[in-house]
Amino acid sequence: MTDVAVRQRILTANEAAAAEVRARFRASGTLVANLISSPGSGKTALLEATVARLQPRFQLGAIEGDIATERDAERLRRRGIPAHQILTGGACHLDARQIRQALDEARLPELDILFIENVGNLICPTAYDLGEDFKVVLLSVAEGEDKPFKYPGIFSRAEVVVISKIDLLPHVTFRLDDVRAQLAALNAGCRIVLTAATTGAGMDEWCDLLAARLEAKRRGGFG
Amino acid sequence: MHELSVATEIYRLCRSHIPDGCAARLERAKVAVGELSAVEPDLLRFAWEAVTAGGPDSGTVLEIDWRAAAQVCDGCGEVPARTPGSWLSLCPRCARPMRIQGGQELDVIEFSYVPATCAAEGPA
Repeated sequence: MTDVAVRQRILTANEAAAAEVRARFRASGTLVANLISSPGSGKTALLEATVARLQPRFQLGAIEGDIATERDAERLRRRGIPAHQILTGGACHLDARQIRQALDEARLPELDILFIENVGNLICPTAYDLGEDFKVVLLSVAEGEDKPFKYPGIFSRAEVVVISKIDLLPHVTFRLDDVRAQLAALNAGCRIVLTAATTGAGMDEWCDLLAARLEAKRRGGFG
Repeated sequence: MHELSVATEIYRLCRSHIPDGCAARLERAKVAVGELSAVEPDLLRFAWEAVTAGGPDSGTVLEIDWRAAAQVCDGCGEVPARTPGSWLSLCPRCARPMRIQGGQELDVIEFSYVPATCAAEGPA
C-alpha cells in the first residue's frame, strides 16, 4: 500500500482555467460579472435593462449558460450586444473550461463589461470560479426572504446581491429587513441593490456600481 | 448534481499522482468538504461510486472529512454552538453581527493505492 499526501483543491483544473480567463480579461481591462440565481429571478431582464442604459457608453457582451435553447442570447442580441450561448446539455452549472472555450469560439469584440449569466441554480455554481471579478446573486421578491440562510454557500460568496422585481413588493410577503439580517450574518461586506427591470427602479444604482467597478479595475484596484 | 463533476475531479487528481505505467488500484481517498462548498456528502459518495464503478477502482472508499463553518463574534469573541444547517442572525451573547469562518473547503487531502505491477519498478 502506498500513501500519497495530496492537499490540493479538488477543482484545481477548473481554477487553472479560471486563472487563464482572469488573466485574459486583466490584459483587456474587461470587467467580468458572474450572475447567479434561481431560474426566473430576472437575470436576463436585468441585463436587458442594463444594456438599455449602458450601451453605447460601454461595450457590453454576454455569455449565457442554459441547459437548452438560445433564447437568452437571442434576447440580448436583439438589444444590440454580442451574446454567446453555452448549452450545457443538462449540466447544472458553468465551469471555467466552458468559458475559456466559449471565448475562443465566440470571438467577442474587445469588451468593457462581460456578463456571464450562469445556469439558473443557487447550489451547483457555488464552488466554480469562472475567472470573474465578482459574483452577483439575484433574489427576486417573489421567491421569499428565506433564501440566504437556505443557500448560504452562494450568498456568502456574492460581492453584490440584487433584490429584483421590487415592483412586486406590494403583492407579496417579502420581509426585506429579514434578508438584510441574513446577509449581514453570512456576508456583511456584500452590497445590496434593489431593482425592478420593468420600471427601472434601482437601475441607476446598479449601473453606477458597474461603472465604478470597471473604473476601479482599470485603475488597478482589483487586478 | 454537480457532485458528479466533483467526484470526477477527485478521481482524476488521485490518478494523476500515480506514476505512469503503474497498474495500481486505489484503496481509499480522503477529501475535505466544507459546509459552504454546496457539495452534499451523500451525493458525493453516490457520485464516487458511479465514477469508479466497473473499473479497477470499483469499491474504493471515499472518506469525507466534513468541515463545519463557524460563526464568530468579533465583538465578544463568542463562537456559539448552532444546530447544523441553521444560522444565527446575531451573537446570542452581545447581539452584534457575526462573521463566518471556514466551511469553504473542497480539497483532496490524501489517498492510498496498491501498486500491482509498476513498470517503474522493473521486473519482479
